[in-house]
Amino acid sequence: MLNDEKTKTTIDRDTLTITFQRKFGAPREHVFAAWTEPEHMKQWWDPTGLPLTECVIDLRPGGAFKFTNRDSAHSPPFTGVYRLVERPSQLVFEAMGAVGTVRLDSQDDATHMTVSIRCASTDHLDQFLKLGVDANTDRTFDNLVDYLRKAAR
Amino acid sequence: MDKQTQLNLAFAALADPTRRAILARLSKGVATVSELSQPFGLRQPTISKHLRVLEDAGFIRQKRDAQRRPRQLVVGGPLKDVDGWIRPFREQWEGRFDNLDSYLEKMNKPKK
Repeated sequence: MLNDEKTKTTIDRDTLTITFQRKFGAPREHVFAAWTEPEHMKQWWDPTGLPLTECVIDLRPGGAFKFTNRDSAHSPPFTGVYRLVERPSQLVFEAMGAVGTVRLDSQDDATHMTVSIRCASTDHLDQFLKLGVDANTDRTFDNLVDYLRKAAR
Repeated sequence: MDKQTQLNLAFAALADPTRRAILARLSKGVATVSELSQPFGLRQPTISKHLRVLEDAGFIRQKRDAQRRPRQLVVGGPLKDVDGWIRPFREQWEGRFDNLDSYLEKMNKPKK
């Protein structure tokens, strides 16, 4: 529904699913490793770009993971349990009451990644998305109109 | 109408691809029902039905022009709410994926 240059974001309120799609210029073995090996995961998970202070990955169905940001006072560690591990194409985990799926498809030398987050209920979905909703709402209308202009082309 | 009801109406309206396309068209300027029905290959009553849904959700309104009644996008309407609602979450993941993108580039380079 919403789109920008790189990541395609879709919110489906019927299936309670948020989906991100993005293409990377790297083989999917690398992308899978980046998602599943602490030394790699540490380097990209925090949106601010700072490396994680702690990254524990027990990569097997039923195995737990824990990613701790430098700023753990404001954002608690991201913890959960893996449900399905299919190297190098799929990873399913449960975290914060939602089910996350990472799907990796090879496209020549690139990888098409689909990350979907399925929530337990509409309220749950709304809560998820509302995180920090008050920040910078002024620019948003312009952004969306820009998007709509692109979509209309 | 409370915020939650408004958001629900907005999402229901946005759920249809024709209505999203109509919004995209109106973001470029006002248009009448007949101007809207041509590019979409839909009959005017069908377009009118979609326009009503968009109007009820507050996305668009009719300009006061008795003859042609062109529709226009409401500035600062529910689009702002919908986008504001999604954006922090989207930006968080977008930031993550940008990091991943640059990290994968480093991984790709042979180690010295």
